[in-house]
Amino acid sequence: MAIGNFPARLRRRDFLGVSASAIAATQFPSSTDSWAQGASTLRAGITGYNVINTLDPGKATLIPEFYVIWALYNGLMKLDANSNPVPDLAESVKADGNALEFKLRRGVKFHDGSEMTADDIKFTLERLLDDKFASPNKSKVSGLSAIEIPDPNTVRIVTKEAFAPLLTFLSNCRTGTQILSRKATTAGGDDFGKKPIGTGAYALKDWVPGERVSLAAFPGYFGGAPRIGTIDMPLIAEESSGVTALLGGQIDITSTAPFADIANLEKNAAITVLKQAGLNCRFVSLNHRKAPFDDPTFRRACSMAFDRNAMVRAVLFGEGVTSHGLIPPSIAYAYGGNTRPLCTFDPAKAKAELAKSKYPNGAEAEIMTWGQSWWKRMAEVFVAQCNQTLGTKFTVQVTEANTVFQRHKSGDYQGSVWGWLGLLDADEYMYDIVHTKGWRNFYGYSNPKVDDLLDRARRELDLAKRGALYKEAESTMIEDMPVLPLFVSNVHNLMTKKVQGFNQLPYSNWGDQFVNMSLG
Amino acid sequence: MAWTRFVAGRLLALVLTVLVGSVVVFLVMKSAPGDPAVAALGESARPELVAVFRAKHNLDVAWPLQYGRWLSGVVQGDFGLSLTVASDRKISSLIAARLPNTIFIGLMALSIAVVLSLIAGTIAALRRGKLGDTIATSLAALGISMPDFWLSYVLILVFALGLGLFPAYGFIAPGQSMSGALYSGFLPALAVSAPLAAVFARTLRTALLEAGNKDYVVAARSFGFRPAYIFVHWVFRNALIPYITIIGLQIRYILGGVVVIERIFGVSGIGSLMVDGAFARDYPVVQACAVVFLVIVLSVNLVVDVICSLLDPKRAR
Repeated sequence: MAIGNFPARLRRRDFLGVSASAIAATQFPSSTDSWAQGASTLRAGITGYNVINTLDPGKATLIPEFYVIWALYNGLMKLDANSNPVPDLAESVKADGNALEFKLRRGVKFHDGSEMTADDIKFTLERLLDDKFASPNKSKVSGLSAIEIPDPNTVRIVTKEAFAPLLTFLSNCRTGTQILSRKATTAGGDDFGKKPIGTGAYALKDWVPGERVSLAAFPGYFGGAPRIGTIDMPLIAEESSGVTALLGGQIDITSTAPFADIANLEKNAAITVLKQAGLNCRFVSLNHRKAPFDDPTFRRACSMAFDRNAMVRAVLFGEGVTSHGLIPPSIAYAYGGNTRPLCTFDPAKAKAELAKSKYPNGAEAEIMTWGQSWWKRMAEVFVAQCNQTLGTKFTVQVTEANTVFQRHKSGDYQGSVWGWLGLLDADEYMYDIVHTKGWRNFYGYSNPKVDDLLDRARRELDLAKRGALYKEAESTMIEDMPVLPLFVSNVHNLMTKKVQGFNQLPYSNWGDQFVNMSLG
Repeated sequence: MAWTRFVAGRLLALVLTVLVGSVVVFLVMKSAPGDPAVAALGESARPELVAVFRAKHNLDVAWPLQYGRWLSGVVQGDFGLSLTVASDRKISSLIAARLPNTIFIGLMALSIAVVLSLIAGTIAALRRGKLGDTIATSLAALGISMPDFWLSYVLILVFALGLGLFPAYGFIAPGQSMSGALYSGFLPALAVSAPLAAVFARTLRTALLEAGNKDYVVAARSFGFRPAYIFVHWVFRNALIPYITIIGLQIRYILGGVVVIERIFGVSGIGSLMVDGAFARDYPVVQACAVVFLVIVLSVNLVVDVICSLLDPKRAR
């Protein structure tokens, strides 16, 4: 039970947690082994992943790293169920020209017992901006020009121009902007990622690489001590093993579930399946610099030549919704719906469009994909339907994910299935992907009207007005069909019936919910 | 004198094989598509970050130099740091933490295979052509032809989810609790042992039948010795030599089975470490695991050769 450098209070509490589990264990003589520690331990299986390299938010890139980070730290903001940022370590926020002024919550303590001040926020953001630190999450704060501290409880974050997505980027999700302690982080040095200190409801207790991460409740948490004393997170590489572990009683909740099993699992009375359309987008990426996808008319013909509903059934086993744009439904204020005729299967209209295009007769193209999983099926379903409807001669080229990405970046491709997971703000789904300057715009798309709408949306802080700009940009963009939107896949969690208080959010949240949870 | 030369020659061959093997693994990993920098930093990594990562981990120099640096570390007992599966952690400590689990499951599988094959092989030989033989030989055919991952899921379905006798997932390290390790390791060990038990049992059956037809057995019968006495003293003892030889030859397949089984059952062992390393392009981790596997297999072969030459001195010459 070595806990490291925590104050004595934590050890006492941890000890109480252990004795409670010992009592629970005597009530259930069959479960005496270490994975069954009784009611005060939540066994939260991280499924489908088993690599966690760092727990330093500034260095983290992988989803399972953030799963844990969300429990250890807080952001100035957090996302609510509608993907809107709401204050967390901040008490309130107000816009002031090109600046955002945050009033900080008082009495927030780090795991080492020290109190959070505005200086810690300045430290966190400047560390991300520092070129020498080389944070993979620097893009989230690249719009900042100054961080001012008028008093110890106020932070003014100044941007070059008003930058609406910043509030999302300062939230406790896949951002890396989680707030650190200047003192503890500096003292930790290169080892900080292995011995993290945050303000979160849980502190790191133990970490065996590739095997498990354990957390202990932080009694000094500003929201009050959590109900569950210990979180044990085995890292389960195979999603299907996660299902058997849950059914076999070795874990209480999973972070994901295999799409193919959902229908059966929903019939199982012993478990609860949580699901909703996630924060992601999948599309066929088309290279506008090469034939045949240099012709917008031909791209529109392709878009109407295949059935997205059939694809959701064939590829996702029904676990998703069709996309007629890039912004997923969970970003409610900017979602443009999925009833656009240009993205609806209509063989007659598709053929009419094809006849008007530069390539009416049996155009050839290679569609890249990778692996054996659903990415491959996506390409196969698209190619088969397009060829059937339009008489094109598309082929599927199976390679490897990194190769596909490299060829995207170098422009050495015709078409490819592609998608983004973990983008949080409407700006990332639109500006990054289809703006002329967007860094994820690999296909060479450029439309001045779309650019202008997206530039204005970045500066618009009123959510309703901002959403309207994105909807207009998306409708304009879809006429050019720069990419063929396919679908948004669901996020899933499986739980036993005794788990209570887990509120699933579309970004596939995890550690941020432990504080609300209890075991009934 | 012949003995020391025999063993020394084999040790030298072992070292050379490990060297050649590590070069092959190194080149295979290098030629596989993919980039550890992308695996570690994510798809959206900026080029400058990738460059920093590559420089830090020696990935930006020519491969013979990379291999040379790696080898000079290994000679000094340093396998280097993990790139992507447990970044910046010592690979030697990762292996030290996981190797005992793999060896434990392997030994357990071997024990199960020996016990099962002794029973099945003996029954099959004694009841040749009768029901017992048919059942034992059919089970053996089944054991050889079933893929181990499929058998794993069947075992989980029946013994863990159906009957609730064993945990469906997770392994308690023997260092933590020996009884826990035996209990939680039973299903994975059983899955690994099935094909081995089948091969062992078939060999034993054949060896027993052969030994049972020898002239000295017929002579012993004519002298009026009890069948059980004849079986133990002349048939079984002589059948043991091919049986032990086949055990020695088959041990290497345990490692192959463990690689698959560890992931399914969540055993934190060296096989799953190697698979993770290969997926994440963690070259030094895969290299280190490969060397450990090579050393284990070659050492086992050496020990088996020594034992066989002790049993049958003709082979040492």
